Amino acid sequence: MSEFLSLEDLTLAYGGSVAVDRLNLGIRRGELIALLGPSGCGKTTTMRAIAGLLSPKSGTIRLDGRDVTRVAPSRREVGLVFQSYALFPHLTVFENVAFGLRLRKEGDLAAKVAAGLATVGLSDFADRAPAALSGGQQQRVALARSLVMNPKVLLLDEPLSNLDARLRLEMRLELQRVQRETGVTMIFVTHDQAEALALADRIVVMRDGKIEQVGSPEQIWTEPASGFVADFVGFETILPDPETGGALAWRPAAVTLGEGPHRGVIRGASFAGAHREYVLDTALGVVKAETPASVPPLAPGAEVAFDLPRARAVRLASA
Amino acid sequence: MFGNRVEGLALTLPAAVFAAALFLLPVGILLSEAFRTPEGWSLSAYWDFFASPRNRTVFWRSITLAAEVAAASAVIGYAAAYAIVTLPPKARGRVFGLVILPLMISPVARTYAWLVILGRTGFVNQALVGLGILDSPLRILFSETAVFIGLLQLFLPLMVISLVSAMENMPKDAIPAARVLGANWAQVFARVILPLTREGLVIGGTLVFTGSLTAYITPAILGGSKVLMLETLLYQRVAVANDFVSASVIAMILIVASFSANLLLKRMASARRARA
Amino acid sequence: MNGRLAAWAVLGLVLTFLIGPFLIIIAAALSAGESLAFPPQGLSLKWVVKVFEIESFRASFGVSMFLAVFGTLAALALGVPAAYGLNRYRVPGAEAVRTIVSAPIIVPGIIVGLALLRYLVIPTGVGIGPALFLAHTALILPYAVRVVSASLENLRTDIEEAAVLLGCTRFGAFRRVVLPNIRGGVLAAFILGFVTSFNQVPVSLFLSGPGVRTLPVDMIAYMEINYDPSVAALSALLAFMSVAIVFAAEKFLGFSKYV
Repeated sequence: MSEFLSLEDLTLAYGGSVAVDRLNLGIRRGELIALLGPSGCGKTTTMRAIAGLLSPKSGTIRLDGRDVTRVAPSRREVGLVFQSYALFPHLTVFENVAFGLRLRKEGDLAAKVAAGLATVGLSDFADRAPAALSGGQQQRVALARSLVMNPKVLLLDEPLSNLDARLRLEMRLELQRVQRETGVTMIFVTHDQAEALALADRIVVMRDGKIEQVGSPEQIWTEPASGFVADFVGFETILPDPETGGALAWRPAAVTLGEGPHRGVIRGASFAGAHREYVLDTALGVVKAETPASVPPLAPGAEVAFDLPRARAVRLASA
Repeated sequence: MFGNRVEGLALTLPAAVFAAALFLLPVGILLSEAFRTPEGWSLSAYWDFFASPRNRTVFWRSITLAAEVAAASAVIGYAAAYAIVTLPPKARGRVFGLVILPLMISPVARTYAWLVILGRTGFVNQALVGLGILDSPLRILFSETAVFIGLLQLFLPLMVISLVSAMENMPKDAIPAARVLGANWAQVFARVILPLTREGLVIGGTLVFTGSLTAYITPAILGGSKVLMLETLLYQRVAVANDFVSASVIAMILIVASFSANLLLKRMASARRARA
Repeated sequence: MNGRLAAWAVLGLVLTFLIGPFLIIIAAALSAGESLAFPPQGLSLKWVVKVFEIESFRASFGVSMFLAVFGTLAALALGVPAAYGLNRYRVPGAEAVRTIVSAPIIVPGIIVGLALLRYLVIPTGVGIGPALFLAHTALILPYAVRVVSASLENLRTDIEEAAVLLGCTRFGAFRRVVLPNIRGGVLAAFILGFVTSFNQVPVSLFLSGPGVRTLPVDMIAYMEINYDPSVAALSALLAFMSVAIVFAAEKFLGFSKYV
């Protein structure tokens, strides 16, 4: 087995109902994986099971050649950066980062903590209380606290969702840099496809406790395997394909407005800076289209011709 | 991570077993005592208890006094609570602190103070005689009035606390709005303040009523054997006559009263949570 | 402006009614006379001194102190784990456990004292002292569970998971992460328990015997026989003690937010 971390037939129950159903997934050493899906798809539950915070109903978790399914979380060598960071409020930044090292009775504590804080650029904050830091800084402390333990796998729960737009970009670059420098295997959970596409080596799209598709960001973006994934990555018009019995999906930009064989009524229009977005009511169903901002706007209520070119559609096995 | 039932039970059972063994069991046996007679289970102890005129007097006196204390504390409580919430925040905190301060002080000390004030050579009599209003000191101690005063001082803070928190939750502009609409103060109270603070009144009233009904120290010190209430009667029956059957009947009355009050409070709290 | 004046007038009357008696007690305690009276006949500290000379007060003060300190500690030893279990685990029958643990608040103390005397002390030969200790522990238990529960509810649970992932055992996570963060609540529970136990009369009423009597019960017994200002002096001292404890607690940990 070349896989560093593998989930085999993993079934997880949460509050009595099945949250994840016979999931199989292999992850290689040093990969940066995104678990992507809407809330309730089982991505967070899967992450908690990898960490050992949740015992699987059935199935196996193997890490670095060892079956860790029943191993206590404290002995798994898995790090987790919580969505809310979960810093210990009664300890300073230094003591937060030193927490796990102290338990392991490691030597060179001060040097290791200093190195950890330097990695996340917080060397000057060692004596602060967590409450005195901004959200972004707190997250870096949480990251350093996990990293100094040299985990085999580092899990991150929605690492960017609590940050504002500017910090989000910064943190994205930071995570990529940390991953490059440390080579740690990282798995992060997100509901935001843009985050997953920008950050991950591979994306695992989940839905209703099952894996919908696994692939590189390019694959997910250009060749979604199902209507669900297509919709999730922006193919907003999905119509059955009578020729193959499957379906075809178009991004708004792939829809030609102003000419073509079909006609529709503009129900909504909005200006989005570089382009204008339209929602059309048509005989085929709702179609979403966009035009460059330089094209004169179309008024809501107007009837307009449009085309759905087959050449610009992706083919799906089913809608 | 917290799914482990065995761990959860191991943490909670010691306390539950302790409370059950020391409370439920002995108290349960005590309550059963009134139902056990040589001829088997019977309600006759309750008939006998209420057949005695003295017991009936004590029973009604306890309920009446508790109700009077609750009513008086409601009237005073509304005035005090309204005055407190109209204060500027800093003064409000200080005055509120002074109101709840007595709760932390030994009830024996609090009741004893009234002995000094109401006694034959106490403050009130010295003043009345000294000012020539009376020729000889009044006998205030060991009367229902003395017990009433003592209980009111003991439990008034509970009513004020309940009403202050109810008034703080009232919409800020409700009173000025009603005034602008032409309501006089009586109407403002009846139509605005009372409905909006009803819950606080019920909570405070229940606390004061059950507190007074189950009080021991105040009737013991200020009422003595002249003004027996349920708990002092219970003590006397056991200490003087070894009468555990009457004690069991009184215990049942006290527990039923206190349990229903608690149930009422819990229901109000959960109704409030449901609305929030 | 008239309203402001009326408000202060009301508060003045209410506060005089609530606080005034204590001032009178203090004055009576400083009396130089032989019997209880107000205004005091001359000023002296002789009754305050006398309090410390009365043997039974010294003994019963010791009993009350012991009960308040160790009864509260025992209640916390039972109550902190119970509060933690009820807040963090899905315990079967949690509602029943909650009701049983809080029962001592609902049952009037005098009944508990009587029941324990009749069904514990007399049949088993357990001493009055141990019975008092158990009764006070049970009495404080509901406060301990309630106050500690409140501070556990305000503490996020993910820090315990974080601690476990960093190598703690479940117990280690409790000790290193939970306990330091609910310290204020535990201390508040201790103070509340201490004051409740120390001031408690009805529970201890039947549970008293030669040499084992709590201070408030002893005071009542003393004042039934004596009419001198020593109980006033003692009451004043106790009031000062309570106020000092609560004031310090409020100052250093914002006591009122826990109660």
